[in-house]
Amino acid sequence: MASFNLRKAEPKDVPDILRLIKELARYEEMEDQVKLTEKDLLEDGFGDHPFYHCVVAEVPTEHQKAEGYSVIGFAMYYFTYDPWIGKLLYLEDFFVMKEYRGFGIGSEILKKLSETAVKTRCSSMHFIVAESNQASINFYKRRGALDLSLEEGWRLFRIDKQNLLKLSAEE
Amino acid sequence: MKYSIRSARAQDCRDIERMIMELALYEKMPDQVKISHKELERDGFGPNPFYQCLVAEVPEERSSAEGHTVVGYVLYYYTYSTWSGRCIYMEDLYVMPQFRGEGIGKALMASVAKVCREQQCVRLQFSVLDWNKPSLEFYLSKGAQDLTDKEGWHLLRFDGEALESLAEEAP
Repeated sequence: MASFNLRKAEPKDVPDILRLIKELARYEEMEDQVKLTEKDLLEDGFGDHPFYHCVVAEVPTEHQKAEGYSVIGFAMYYFTYDPWIGKLLYLEDFFVMKEYRGFGIGSEILKKLSETAVKTRCSSMHFIVAESNQASINFYKRRGALDLSLEEGWRLFRIDKQNLLKLSAEE
Repeated sequence: MKYSIRSARAQDCRDIERMIMELALYEKMPDQVKISHKELERDGFGPNPFYQCLVAEVPEERSSAEGHTVVGYVLYYYTYSTWSGRCIYMEDLYVMPQFRGEGIGKALMASVAKVCREQQCVRLQFSVLDWNKPSLEFYLSKGAQDLTDKEGWHLLRFDGEALESLAEEAP
């Protein structure tokens, strides 16, 4: 299987994007945590104020799976800001369906994103990976990524909705 | 009135630049600061802002020894979780040492929590250095969870040569 195409996601891709989001969540063993719907994805990605950008990988009709999917991979990203170096590209999700791995599709997606980062004046591309996901960590490190949690001691924190409401009431 | 919290204006960028450097010094990484008030102005106050900023201000009679009345800031931006939708990422939170202990840090954070509520953001995320005990304790007391500890998330980065090399190979 040699040919595939990378392109910007369009509103019609939303059902496929949600499908792949759930597949990735399954791989990360956290499928029940996906609360997002197609409606949310449509409004948040293709409305007046896009909260994310998306690139999809598709294969020609003759290579589609039995179920007829042609979108077989995606990457979701957005722009963030580091007060030390300026604009960054943040890679939120990155996934290629199991049956289509090993053909270099993931590599090509990563290169495309890097090109986008450089073209849009981003100094850096950041993302998080679970430490149990050694396959992905090795994939990124082979291509020159640095683990900032290990090298510099950065820990990721979250405050959820319940505690946010409590905090906002203290103002 | 001891202090007030308000949205930053373009004219505040010199003060923000000063405090970014103070925070970088505290985090023991001052040589990593590459941008100045010029980039902050362009990137935060143009037609397409890459970040939002709130500042804490004290009345003239309480100004610092050097005459500063802008004594704290919080810099944040919108992000997206494929599991739960809109989030806010708090990039920097800082109060000058002589103005700590008055609740300014808490007020800045509560203001961001209020933005989360108004913009229907379900989470507030941020990173803390593992040796920064005062900050770790402050955030944990507000209900924050350490996801690096709990779920094993590591922050990774592609920059400099690694990013350029990947970009060159893009299809």
